[in-house]
Amino acid sequence: MKNGFFGKIFGTGKESTRDIAKKRLQFALIYDKLEVSDEILESLQKDIVDVISKYFEIDKSSLKLDIERQDDLSALVLNTPILSAKRKFG
Amino acid sequence: MAGSEIKISFISKQKRGADLKGKVIVITSGKGGVGKTTTTASLGAAIASLGKTVAVVDMDIGLRNLDVVMGLENRIVYNVVDLAHGRCQVKQAAIRDRRIEGLFLIPASQSDNKNALNTDDMARLTKKLRDEFDYILIDCPAGIEQGFENSVTGADEAIVVCTPEVSAVRDADRIIGLLYARSITPKLIVNRIVPYMVVNGDMLSHKDVEDVLSVELIGLVEMDERVIAATNTGSYIIDDKTSKAGQAYTRIARRILGDPSVPIKEPVYDQKGIWGKITSKFGIRK
Repeated sequence: MKNGFFGKIFGTGKESTRDIAKKRLQFALIYDKLEVSDEILESLQKDIVDVISKYFEIDKSSLKLDIERQDDLSALVLNTPILSAKRKFG
Repeated sequence: MAGSEIKISFISKQKRGADLKGKVIVITSGKGGVGKTTTTASLGAAIASLGKTVAVVDMDIGLRNLDVVMGLENRIVYNVVDLAHGRCQVKQAAIRDRRIEGLFLIPASQSDNKNALNTDDMARLTKKLRDEFDYILIDCPAGIEQGFENSVTGADEAIVVCTPEVSAVRDADRIIGLLYARSITPKLIVNRIVPYMVVNGDMLSHKDVEDVLSVELIGLVEMDERVIAATNTGSYIIDDKTSKAGQAYTRIARRILGDPSVPIKEPVYDQKGIWGKITSKFGIRK
């Protein structure tokens, strides 16, 4: 409450709890939306394996799908050893 | 209030054309304790007071409360589970409010568990209710489980109730996402706004909440102690004509009925004279 009055008069620069709440919420909601359930990740992995398998011989058991989070971005990272390319499509 | 009048006539079916179907509006929030039930009761009462027939349906199976908020707890015979499972007729389950013409409550069951109903039951139930009432307000339980799924099934519109607190806003965002996934574009009520706290920078403003959630507002309700007093006695806050929350709910009801001339009124901090102004600035007055 002191923030409101003295902050306004003297410009103490101390952020109000209202502004802090808003910023925290905005970040929290962004992070919430980046969260992917294991179920979805598994389903995605299966689909990716199917697509890649059309073109490459891959070791399905060592395929690894992950979401890497950094401060400013999230990346979907897929690692798979390729055994060989398929000569003929299909 | 509760008069001794005896009325045999029930829902006036002849008033409604065969093709005229009622509208189903779900009132939801994600988080509990933000005022969903009070909002449902108040909007139901306000819409009925404006001349429409309204059924308010308590979907909080096992934890019913809408009945006691509306002061109708002594009149329950059948409940929404009975009705959905075909054990009674609409007119048996719907308790007629004797104070407000056209207002009916379909109470929750207190003994069944949350999974007593499924979405098929709800689709059938809402279809049935549409034939009998102009508006059907569904009081959704907190959470995102079966009770939520059931409550949104068959809903045409959704109202999300949110208080200006981080936990409520975050849960509202989740609920809004789930509603969009079901092709429902919700509208927002920001409830329990304390204008002086907003002015002092100690509470999120409705604008902040709107910014964060980016969803259309339908109304703003100020924190009002009289809501608690009304709940104590099972009366309606809309009947307290000087209550700010009551006035806000009546305005929201008119907006729901499609009256575009009712603007959203922003709660303002009315400082009571110079002394109130000084003390509040110094944070003395609460």
